[in-house]
Amino acid sequence: MIATIPSATLLGVEGYPVAVEAHVSTGLPGFHVVGLPDAACRESRDRVRAALLSSNLPWPLRRVTVNLAPSGMRKTGAGLDLPIAIALLAAAGELPIEALTGIACIGELGLDGSVRPVPGILPLVDAVDVPIVVVPESCRREAALVGRHDVRAVATLSVVVDALRGDGPWPDASTAEDDPDPPSDPPPDLAEVRGQRVGRWALEVAAAGGHHLLMTGPPGAGKTLLAQRLPGILPPLTREQALETTRVHSAAGVPLPPRGMVERPPFRAPHHSASAVSLVGGGTAVMRPGERSCATNGVLFLDELGEFHAGVLDMLRQPLEEGVVRVSRARATVTFPARFLLVAAMNPCPCGRAGPPGACRCSETERARYARRVSGPLLDRFDLRVAVTWADPEELLGAAPAESSADVAARVASVRVMAAARGVRVNAAIPAERLDEVAPVTKPAWDVLDRRLRSGALTARGLHRVRRVARTLADLDGCETLDEEHVCAAMALRVDHADLGLAS
Amino acid sequence: MSGDGCAAALAGLPGMAPFRLRDLLADRSPAQAWAAVREGEEGAEWQKVAAGVEVEAVAEAHTAAGVGVHVLGSPEYPTALADDAEAPAVLFSVGDLDAVRRPLVGVVGTRRCTHAGRQTARTFGVDLACAGVAVVSGLALGIDGAAHAGALEAADAGGRPPVAVVGSGLDVVYPRRHARLWERVAEIGCLLSEWPLGVRPERWHFPARNRIIAALVDVLVVVESHAAGGSMHTVEAADARGRTVLAVPGPVRSPASEGTNRLLHDGHGPARDAADVLTALGLARPLPPRRRLRAVPDGTDGAVLDAVDWEPTSFEQIVARTGLGLGPVSAALARLEHDSWVAGDAGWWERVGMGE
Repeated sequence: MIATIPSATLLGVEGYPVAVEAHVSTGLPGFHVVGLPDAACRESRDRVRAALLSSNLPWPLRRVTVNLAPSGMRKTGAGLDLPIAIALLAAAGELPIEALTGIACIGELGLDGSVRPVPGILPLVDAVDVPIVVVPESCRREAALVGRHDVRAVATLSVVVDALRGDGPWPDASTAEDDPDPPSDPPPDLAEVRGQRVGRWALEVAAAGGHHLLMTGPPGAGKTLLAQRLPGILPPLTREQALETTRVHSAAGVPLPPRGMVERPPFRAPHHSASAVSLVGGGTAVMRPGERSCATNGVLFLDELGEFHAGVLDMLRQPLEEGVVRVSRARATVTFPARFLLVAAMNPCPCGRAGPPGACRCSETERARYARRVSGPLLDRFDLRVAVTWADPEELLGAAPAESSADVAARVASVRVMAAARGVRVNAAIPAERLDEVAPVTKPAWDVLDRRLRSGALTARGLHRVRRVARTLADLDGCETLDEEHVCAAMALRVDHADLGLAS
Repeated sequence: MSGDGCAAALAGLPGMAPFRLRDLLADRSPAQAWAAVREGEEGAEWQKVAAGVEVEAVAEAHTAAGVGVHVLGSPEYPTALADDAEAPAVLFSVGDLDAVRRPLVGVVGTRRCTHAGRQTARTFGVDLACAGVAVVSGLALGIDGAAHAGALEAADAGGRPPVAVVGSGLDVVYPRRHARLWERVAEIGCLLSEWPLGVRPERWHFPARNRIIAALVDVLVVVESHAAGGSMHTVEAADARGRTVLAVPGPVRSPASEGTNRLLHDGHGPARDAADVLTALGLARPLPPRRRLRAVPDGTDGAVLDAVDWEPTSFEQIVARTGLGLGPVSAALARLEHDSWVAGDAGWWERVGMGE
């Protein structure tokens, strides 16, 4: 007898439909899985057998062949355990085949017959075209985000079998739905940062205009503290952005918030020992999205930028321009979303002591070697480059709390609205040819720019970047044209690499 | 066989050191010493190397590059240096050797200097060159380069051309960043080295170079120096030779002035401006007035200027002190920088201009 159950497998952040076919016939008893299963998938034979026996279900002592169609595509992970088990039982005559109509299954089986969660439920469910989908219990909310299916969340294999036989009900979704959401921790607030006017300002401009930010400064100056507060002032994700980010997090196996949907801009801070694949995404068969994609629609924070491998850093350049990462392997090419706000922090030199010029104790060679770790083209991608210094002790101890994240977020949101009115996502994405139209400059401001250009302190590309930042500053001030103040401030927020001691 | 070629070939032998060269040439001419090396009297290794060296070609290369070769004791060897106990046995020069003539003043200091230090060094360079003093330095990054830049600026307006002593062959420009300065010193003044063409700057060449500076000068001015550093070696060498050492007083909290302030504490004279140096030289020439009077800015610019110290002040501090927004402060700083009241460096600002 033969039985077929629809399911799905994951490649990158996309789910692809898979039909699980089981055939039980007379012959030498045996169990074979064909159709390009990967190692985890092939091991499902043993899990399925143990789960059936633990659930007091009969194991057919006949010849069993399971095919995963289309056979040309590599299947990954353990999510096909549950459909294999169900198809097998149906083919063996233990389940009425007609009960399987319109039902898809996704889930890993434990040896005790429990149904366990698998990564990527959101894209997997999205790939399924039948009205009813059976998923592990803890994935119910995530599966429901797709909104096209009747989601049946189950805890054990025997529940599914009973329901299909008509011996028991499907678990009631509504009772579980009433669970109150566990209160989530509010994101860190800017009000907790004392002093740091320049750092706070740079943060606000970065959030408002989508400008990438590099902070240099001695250890303990508060670079990380500031960066962690950036998601709190970014506008909340739109539904499309939230779905996109949730899809990536789901596929990458990043724990999702209790409601299933990533609603706040994500904050990803990979350690500087991160490998190229962990950052970019990839792998031989799974094609797992990397940290950069996990940060999509949010913030990618690279602390100790100088400690990252130079090759790993240079791979950031393409997604910074295009907003996507394409990973090509012999088997497949997948595209991951990677549109993030890049925030980086580094010490100005190996000793990290360099406060004022002349105070550093590193030799010229040491500084040059340290500076070479970050390539010029990457440094150039940072519209904002600021020096963060130790806060004044008086401000640390005394003084009223500073402005809260909510107030800053309101200004950020209004600037984003203005950018949208210009037809760009954020001010940092204004094309160079539209600058004259959307970022007009007053005469005194032109004079300042002109002087800088003539003295060689500003390049043509630098000019575009300065004008985009000045556009954001003017938006924050509610000005239509860019004034001298905005242009000067944009340049003050973009300290030259050579001055940061980072030019090689 | 050319004496110059032999001298240059000897100086270029592998592992050659200044004292070794002096020993080699102590009681014989370069040609005799070279013959001795070729015959293996100075070891098999040098004999092997010397066998492959064409003395005439070495001499021609130096002539072609415009490099003068001067053996200690020859008439053109700079007299300022000739009497020194550690004078280089062979000296190489590019440019006008006549520039190496008393009065000579060394202006040296750290490579890791503050903006104020660089400005001071430049001012010393300008004023001393204008007063007819040859400024001697090492063309290094930081203070040395700034002193040379100042002297070159003054030389264009009729001042004395500068002298530079370097630690590599005269065709090996080091540091690369000072290639232009190097060229101009060679053009207008004089470049000196004890190394023949093609010799790379080794770490130990620089203390050796510093002893030549100390021996050459009448007065040594240290503009900025950390507690330990190359400039302190130059001071030691100058002290040992009984040269007058002056130090520029600096802020007590600036690490870049730690060494110079210690020199002052230890009894060396202060150099507040070029007039102090001229006095130490025994030249009572008045300095030509250079500074123009100008009014201190008022309004926002004045408030911002008040908030900037004479030592590096962070942007953060300036904003906090003025209580103004970041936009107005940046605009004011840009105007003040344009008018040379302040100078910016990596997000730090300091006052550089006077308003008297």
